Amino acid sequence: MGTIEFEGRPVSFEQGDTIASALYRAGVRTFSRSLKYHRRRGLYCGTGDCPNCLMTVDERPAVHTCTAPCAEGMRIERPGGFPNAERDLLHVTDSLHRVMPVGFYYKTFVRPRFAWPIAERVIRRATGLGALPPTTAATRQVVRHEHVGTLVVGAGIAGLDAARDAGAGGTVLVCDEGRIGHAIAPGTTADRLAELAADVRSLENVAVLEGFTALGIYEGLHVPLAGDGELVHVHPSRVIVATGAVEEHGVFPGNDLPGVMLGRAAAGLAGIHGVRPGERAVVVVRTGEGIDHLRALTAAGVEVVAVAVSTALASRLPSDGVGEIVVDGDVLEARGGSSLRSVALRRDGRGKRFDCDLLVLSLGLSPRDGLARMALPGEPVTLVGDAAGETRHDGRCGHDGTVCLCEDVSIHDLEQAWDEGFRNAEILKRYTTTTMGPCQGAMCGRALACFAASHADGRSHPPEGTDAPRTTARPPTRPVTLESLAAGVHEIVDKRTSLHELHVSAGAQLDRSGGWLRPFSYGDWRGEYRAVRERVSVMDVGTLGKFTIAGPGADELVDRLFPCRTDDLEPGRNRYVLTLDEAGYVMDDGLLGRADEGDWYLTSTSGGAGRMDARLRNLADRLELDAHVLDRTAQWGAINVAGPYARDLLERLTDDPIGAEAVPSRGFADVTVAGVPCRAVRTGFVGELAFELHHPRRRGPGLWRELVDAGREWDLRPHGLDALELLRLEKGHVYLGQDTMPDDTPAKLRMSWAVDMSKPWFVGKQALERMSSLPPSRRQVGLEFSGGPADTAALRGEPLIVRGTVVGRITSAERSIALDRAIGLGWVRTVDGGFPERLETGSGATARVVPTPFYDPKGGRMRG
Amino acid sequence: MAIEIPCSWCGPRPFTEFSFGGEWRELEAPDPEADFARVYLPENREGWQRERWFHAMGCRTWTTVTRDTRTNAIEGS
Repeated sequence: MGTIEFEGRPVSFEQGDTIASALYRAGVRTFSRSLKYHRRRGLYCGTGDCPNCLMTVDERPAVHTCTAPCAEGMRIERPGGFPNAERDLLHVTDSLHRVMPVGFYYKTFVRPRFAWPIAERVIRRATGLGALPPTTAATRQVVRHEHVGTLVVGAGIAGLDAARDAGAGGTVLVCDEGRIGHAIAPGTTADRLAELAADVRSLENVAVLEGFTALGIYEGLHVPLAGDGELVHVHPSRVIVATGAVEEHGVFPGNDLPGVMLGRAAAGLAGIHGVRPGERAVVVVRTGEGIDHLRALTAAGVEVVAVAVSTALASRLPSDGVGEIVVDGDVLEARGGSSLRSVALRRDGRGKRFDCDLLVLSLGLSPRDGLARMALPGEPVTLVGDAAGETRHDGRCGHDGTVCLCEDVSIHDLEQAWDEGFRNAEILKRYTTTTMGPCQGAMCGRALACFAASHADGRSHPPEGTDAPRTTARPPTRPVTLESLAAGVHEIVDKRTSLHELHVSAGAQLDRSGGWLRPFSYGDWRGEYRAVRERVSVMDVGTLGKFTIAGPGADELVDRLFPCRTDDLEPGRNRYVLTLDEAGYVMDDGLLGRADEGDWYLTSTSGGAGRMDARLRNLADRLELDAHVLDRTAQWGAINVAGPYARDLLERLTDDPIGAEAVPSRGFADVTVAGVPCRAVRTGFVGELAFELHHPRRRGPGLWRELVDAGREWDLRPHGLDALELLRLEKGHVYLGQDTMPDDTPAKLRMSWAVDMSKPWFVGKQALERMSSLPPSRRQVGLEFSGGPADTAALRGEPLIVRGTVVGRITSAERSIALDRAIGLGWVRTVDGGFPERLETGSGATARVVPTPFYDPKGGRMRG
Repeated sequence: MAIEIPCSWCGPRPFTEFSFGGEWRELEAPDPEADFARVYLPENREGWQRERWFHAMGCRTWTTVTRDTRTNAIEGS
């Protein structure tokens, strides 16, 4: 019907083929190499549980080829193996088993120490499930939320049945990792599935999601489903887990040889895909399903040389064509080279060997109940169908053989770990990594629990019928791609000011800052800088946090939050404020103004607005103050008009007085500018005469245009964040978070003037009192550089060094245009009890500690 | 439904709308030395605990909630 490409050669496939069935038909028997010892691994579970058939499909590593359908032109490769999985020289590690025991990486290559990085590189290349594609970009996955009454995981007979019942009384979502009924042989099961699926699809309040894998159950009931191109977060009221059961993994010597296969894999090949899984088979039947598997094999023309059957099922065996029947027989061992050659069965206490190329195991069912076991006690998560079955412990744990196919752990390894003192299932798991591979314990979980339970009692087997403790189930239940985990992270919402379109049409370079999209420059940041220093400029500062704090309790609220005095602020005056956390560390800063008695106007940093709002509201609630906090950040825009001619510009656009009396330095007033009602706030951040015009957001574009128009007389240019960086640096103003450390007290920032310790109480006061007796250890400083790089900004982030020891770091650096000197900010630690004055930078420049502000230290320009 | 936090303004809402404000603690210690324990040594209790929740993606009201840290059961709901 079509062709896929398998390691460079064409392989044809038929309608309905999985990748694995097409490869099997083409004669491929080695499906992968095991992780550690590079043993050949063949098709084994056929149900998408075990790791054996994992291959790289179209550069996507670790695809279960036994369940993935073929598509025209797919390129398939087996991972691992040198030079390839078919002829793998690394198989030599299998004979080195003794020097590479379980946990060998804790024991070998420890000394000499230089050996480990080399060994690590070799080991990493020798293991793994295939390389990630180096060039293909990850596909972006979107996130969707679904709120439903009932989520049914698994659309088999039990799941669809449950969905139909639940659909009678509420909304239902049914998901399945594959397609409903896919890879089920025609027959009563397929008919029943089709009938149920049709019923379910006809119900209006039942939705079906095919190709979605439930990754786990999180509390609150939250189930993420990973599918093609999206991650669906389901928030159901209850969950029905109908994930079925996996066939039990047999543990005996040689159990991982190609040719040893679970019943469903063999019957699937024979009954669905028309591929004869082998010529001569030994079949072990301990489940009713096993009888069907046996029939499928004989019908496909496989010669069955022997059947080991449980006593209970012996009477149900077909009467002919099944070779020698061994009642209550058991597999003693399997032998072979590159594939299975013979199997020894225990018969009447002795072994009998049968030559064969296929061993089919129908040993029992282990419920896939991992999802349900993640639920907390009392949460409405129920198991139905085979997933609700019990994990059988019939005392057959195995004496030798591979327990964990994913991580290559044998009974022998578990015994060694046991002898080293790892004596329960949980720590055996961690030490040997059993159950931690791609199958997440689907194959090996039962065997590990069995091993631990049997050894714990000093017995060789756990008492029959007891429930061996299973290891804790945790998400993810199935392998999950990084793309799924990263789903939605690219969906970044940028806030925009009302002036956004104006910036775009002015050719501004926009970038993210504090959650906003802001202009960094309009093409020439130095020219913008000069406009501020020499003439007049405007900047969009609508991103600033803006709050009205009002009510009878407002005075007390601001007095308790901010560490400075507030009671002496006259109406119309404002003050630079810090906020401290309860540990006395500086969290944020802002400008607090009193509009009236019990009416305050606060601006905060653009990125800290949400935090400021939360802190104000928290404190008001804790102190039970009748104070209202109104966040006007999104409601009001703001334009900073700055420069020596700022007042001249505004006088052209307003009839209101804006002289030093009406709007004083460290003050604000309500004025009408170009017909727009504004709150004009005097600020000093850039170090020139400046008025922030806070205005109703939608009036912003008009106000901006009027300002720009009227400003032509002074060759007005708007400025962006790049110019602001130097403007504020010349004034020695810190950017909190950039120039500060998380544990900076006001004293460390040389800002003790912003704290009034005589106030009875403010947030962080006790912490400052407690720390006041500590000797000074670090402080923020102004720096001047000599002998540095041509681009002073390259010094940012460099360490500051005294006599070979790093004692500080440069946090801001730029060449000052006003002073024509290389300046910066940073922090330094004490050296021999004092703060160093001369330091060396990481690149060899000299840094001298100097007082700040660098520019206009007396502040005359700013006060205007 | 997700775990619900009883917001004092909105009533029960999914916890994903809230941000966690930490254990409830006194605003002030008897003296600055005791303040260290108040700030840095939370009880981290196994069992019922008073804590602060902020309806960040809702009405932006703070609520004190008593929650069982073992089961996430919330008192009075």
